[in-house]
Amino acid sequence: MKQHERQITTTNGLSLDNIKLTDVIDLEFLQRFQDDFAKGVGLASVTVDPEGRPVTNPSSYTRFCMDYTHSTECGDKRCAESHRKGGEEAARTGKPVVYECHAGLIDFAAPIMIEGKLIGTILGGQVLTASPNEEKYRRIAKEIGVDGDGYVETAKEIRILSKESIESAANVLFIVANNMSKSAYRQRKLKVVAEVLDDSLHQISATMEQLAASAGTVSNNQSSLNDEISNVNSVTGNINDVMDLIKEIADETRLLGLNAAIEAARAGEAGLGFGVVAQEIRKLSTDSKATVGKIKEFTNVIRSSVDRTVTMGNETALTVEQQAAAIQEVTASLEEITTMTEQLSMLANDM
Amino acid sequence: MANIQLVVFEINGSEYGIDALAVNGILRSKKFKVQKIPGVPEVIEGMINLRGQVNYIYNLRTKFGLKEAAIEDESKFIMLNIGSRVVGCIVDEVTDIVRFDDAELEPAPNLSASHNMKYLKGIGKVEDRMIIILDPLELLSTDETLDLSPDLLRNC
Repeated sequence: MKQHERQITTTNGLSLDNIKLTDVIDLEFLQRFQDDFAKGVGLASVTVDPEGRPVTNPSSYTRFCMDYTHSTECGDKRCAESHRKGGEEAARTGKPVVYECHAGLIDFAAPIMIEGKLIGTILGGQVLTASPNEEKYRRIAKEIGVDGDGYVETAKEIRILSKESIESAANVLFIVANNMSKSAYRQRKLKVVAEVLDDSLHQISATMEQLAASAGTVSNNQSSLNDEISNVNSVTGNINDVMDLIKEIADETRLLGLNAAIEAARAGEAGLGFGVVAQEIRKLSTDSKATVGKIKEFTNVIRSSVDRTVTMGNETALTVEQQAAAIQEVTASLEEITTMTEQLSMLANDM
Repeated sequence: MANIQLVVFEINGSEYGIDALAVNGILRSKKFKVQKIPGVPEVIEGMINLRGQVNYIYNLRTKFGLKEAAIEDESKFIMLNIGSRVVGCIVDEVTDIVRFDDAELEPAPNLSASHNMKYLKGIGKVEDRMIIILDPLELLSTDETLDLSPDLLRNC
């Protein structure tokens, strides 16, 4: 029971509470994918954990963002605030969100979720849907304390994409990242289940072995018991033989007494005393015979009870045999299941 | 027949008695082999060899017209002194040797003067029991046994 509970805890070890993005997505792969995607589509992107901390290096960040917006503490803070808001909105809706950042660029946030829980967010964008309004950027540059000319110049470098394109790109990232993490999560789950299954099977196998061994012991004991009981039976037979002999002696003695009484009768008066002795002899023989009868009754009781014991013993032996056969069958099935579990584990590890 | 001792025995559930003075001894049937003799009256079961002597064995069941029964392990031969010879009778069991006073004896019912009934000597009463007292001489000296002299063997 205790072990069973422990296994459940192991399964819960995979609970959503402690799962991290890095648990389900190979970072190296994610980085490459993110870089290639950013390069291909022309969108900057970075992946952050639920607390907003980046887990990948930024891909294709614009000079506008890197060299200017992020260069002052105020800009950096406003960026972080913008990201947080976008991320929260994405987590709340469970869908990619396209929004305008504090610096006027179009960004998106795509949530990475497993079974409704946010494990990370892919942030990206740093594009515009129309040519930049110079005045607006000069104002922002002033607000965050960067050089207005440079800011406007780098703003002009920013790629212009339609809103649909941005949304589509965000969607692609969203779908790929979520499917990746979902399947990785399932694979891990499968692996854990396979491990628990394997553990349990080993325990069952061990128990079955013990069961088989004890069935063997019971079987041996039972056959020893039957042997002993057979001994009792043959001893009882011997007793009966002896009783037959005693009965024979008693019969002979009785006849002796009868013949002695006849002799005494023929001796007339002189035989009177002898007659009494003869009568006593007959009485003794009758008593002996009665005693023999009683002893035989007892030995017969012993015999029938021994016979019943033997019958029951044989039934027990049969039952134990059937049990042993059943255990073998279960063990065979267990072996099959164990093989299947091993394949399952291999599959889970290969995925 | 005052104050006699009877050897009491059983045949077919009935009790019979015979004067102990006429009894030579009691034998256990299972210790002897009864050899059939062809041609002798039915009442003679056969003969046994007792300490080198040939003794005829009578079957009282046949004599009394009772249903036949095989000789059991418990059956006894009551050996009777008949004249100079000793002959045996098969009985189911010898039960007792009992002393009888006059008061306990009753003469045999004189139902018929039939020759065959002569061996009934009287009835002995012990509480509820009734013991048929047989006359050994009459019992074995009826027609069929008259010829049972050594001549029988001589004729062989």
